[in-house]
Amino acid sequence: MRNRNATAYRFLTPYLLIFAIFWVWPIISSFLISFQATRTVPWRFAPSFNWGRLIGDPAFFNALKNTLLILVIQVPVMISLALVMAVLLNSPLLKARGLYRFAFFAPVVVGEVAYSAVFRLMFNLDFGIINKLLNSVGLPRIDWFSNVTPAMALIMIAVTWRWAGYNAIILLAGMQSIPEDVYEAATLDRVSKLKQFFYITLPLLKPVIVFCLVLSIIGTMQLFTEPFLITERGGPGGGTETLGLLLYRQGFRSLNFGYASAVAYTMAGLAIAITLAQLWLTREPK
Amino acid sequence: MRITMTCAALALALGSAPAFAQSGEITIWSWNVAASSLKATIAGFNKQFPDVKVTVQDLGNQPTYDKSIAGCAAGGVGLPDIVTVENGEAENYWSQFPDCFVDLHTLGYTADDQKKFPDFKRTELEVGDKAYAMPWDSGPVAAFYRRDFYEKAGVDPASIKTWDDFIAAGKKIQAANPGVSMTNADFNGDSEFFRMISNEQGCAYFSEDGQSITVNQPKCVDAMTKVKEMKDAGIISSADWGTKITNNTAGTVATQVYGGWYEGTIRTESAGENGKWGVYLMPSLTADGPRAANLGGSSLAITSASKNKEAAYAYLKYTLGTNEGQITMLKEFGLVPSLISALDDPYVAQGLPYWGGQAVWKDILGTLPKVVPSRGTQFQSDAEIIVRAVQTKYLAGGYPDAKAALDDAASQIAAATGLPVKS
Repeated sequence: MRNRNATAYRFLTPYLLIFAIFWVWPIISSFLISFQATRTVPWRFAPSFNWGRLIGDPAFFNALKNTLLILVIQVPVMISLALVMAVLLNSPLLKARGLYRFAFFAPVVVGEVAYSAVFRLMFNLDFGIINKLLNSVGLPRIDWFSNVTPAMALIMIAVTWRWAGYNAIILLAGMQSIPEDVYEAATLDRVSKLKQFFYITLPLLKPVIVFCLVLSIIGTMQLFTEPFLITERGGPGGGTETLGLLLYRQGFRSLNFGYASAVAYTMAGLAIAITLAQLWLTREPK
Repeated sequence: MRITMTCAALALALGSAPAFAQSGEITIWSWNVAASSLKATIAGFNKQFPDVKVTVQDLGNQPTYDKSIAGCAAGGVGLPDIVTVENGEAENYWSQFPDCFVDLHTLGYTADDQKKFPDFKRTELEVGDKAYAMPWDSGPVAAFYRRDFYEKAGVDPASIKTWDDFIAAGKKIQAANPGVSMTNADFNGDSEFFRMISNEQGCAYFSEDGQSITVNQPKCVDAMTKVKEMKDAGIISSADWGTKITNNTAGTVATQVYGGWYEGTIRTESAGENGKWGVYLMPSLTADGPRAANLGGSSLAITSASKNKEAAYAYLKYTLGTNEGQITMLKEFGLVPSLISALDDPYVAQGLPYWGGQAVWKDILGTLPKVVPSRGTQFQSDAEIIVRAVQTKYLAGGYPDAKAALDDAASQIAAATGLPVKS
């Protein structure tokens, strides 16, 4: 028995070595670095240098606020929208269903850089189609990139555009696994379609919705590309800077690895806390 | 005339070159027009040093920084012989990786050589008695304007001496040319107007010794106040780098205030507007103000990992340290020489057809001696992001006045860097 295990471990050695060098060590190393003052060479041990800064750093709280804001507003809006799309896609009245499914899913296939560039053009102050449309219906044009609120809205619109269809497809798959006879029985009992949705579809779909929520929350916690490319590295003035961007800026622009490590550990802690809270909230009643 | 000039430069270079001939290969990392202009100087360099093979790699601006930093962190692995270093970012390199680059003094860079460049270009490149890089191009600020729009409004650019004149002129020009903005600023991802006016007024984010924070000093407060006045007067519309170019070409902007390197961008990107553009000096806060500032600019540094340091230094000395090298780059790609003697080159005094016959370089380069140093320090990127955040909030009315805004910025920068705020 022990011999068999030893053989197994020998086969695993290459992977375990790589895992130790490229996963375990960086995790330990960045933890140690987070306790060092890395602004000037040589680095020195000073636990309060980074962690003390973190507690009172407006930039950190700004990034945290932005990330949570997206989490609280964009994720529910997107999931609700995805749910509506899924219901429509699931309708037996719909013709050319395959085409619509593809159309809703297509944004995920588009490269992030390409779609970010297109969004920048569409929302351009002077030449963008969005401001032209606003003007044509008598609304004032919006300076999307230079004011905090519109810039934040823009990020949410972009992320929603990209991921709503993806979630809709997952939800659609969940809906199609709900047995048809439940609805038939409800229809015989003269339960309206709307009530069927709220009392049959939603409860039976709950595990799928939770899955979508978990995916979206993880995605939002790691949000980087859109604020990096669309609003130009979290602009205006950090108005759309997320935790991921703050970490990148501190680590690789300011070369302040100690503080970047402290931010990284805070992000990880936050993600664990949110996930635990979520599991607790959505636990099956005993 | 040109032949005598070349001969003079040749004699100068030969006189100071080491007795033995250089040979070998050197590689340079750079970006965009900067890389192209380096390539343009190779032919001239090879006339003096035929055995040195120079390869310029155009990596792009950001990748050059990222790859160089990674190379330094790895102890010099994979680095080329010469790296292009933006002045604003320079101190990040020296402070984190003091051994990654060669002290140019060890290769024959003398105090006399240093004096050929203005002080403001050297502050970030020299730490203590070490010189880590040789100044390359600089960004003396100028106002690039559309002659036709100004004429239509009856505004004489020579009458614009202060930013208040600029605002008044802007209102006239916008009234006379519907759909045209007086100027553009990148309120999304930059603070260029604040930095330009502050530098003109002699105020920077940090003190010249890099030991304290000066962003809330009175002159900086004046600069920030003026930016808001311009924004509130409606003469600035926001536009990033790309949109500014689009505006230039579409004829929806009357003035761009930028570093001198913008000459090449206007000339090449808006080639169709030939003859319509002109240049005047940047306005100041007072009529007798300096009207000179610097925005941007780069330098070249030699890596410690280089196997051909002497050849690399010879290249630096030719390209950056002679009029011939610097003027080649100015002519081809509009890169502004920071070599003071290049001011006297005949090309600088020439009227240029694109600019309606105006000798723009004479005007732009003439401001170089008046530019005061603005030290980036290794905390520049931290400070910059804070200033942008504060500027955004201030312009939106989030502070009672510019003093309160910059006090907030100063205390945030202090928290981020550990430096004291100068009282």
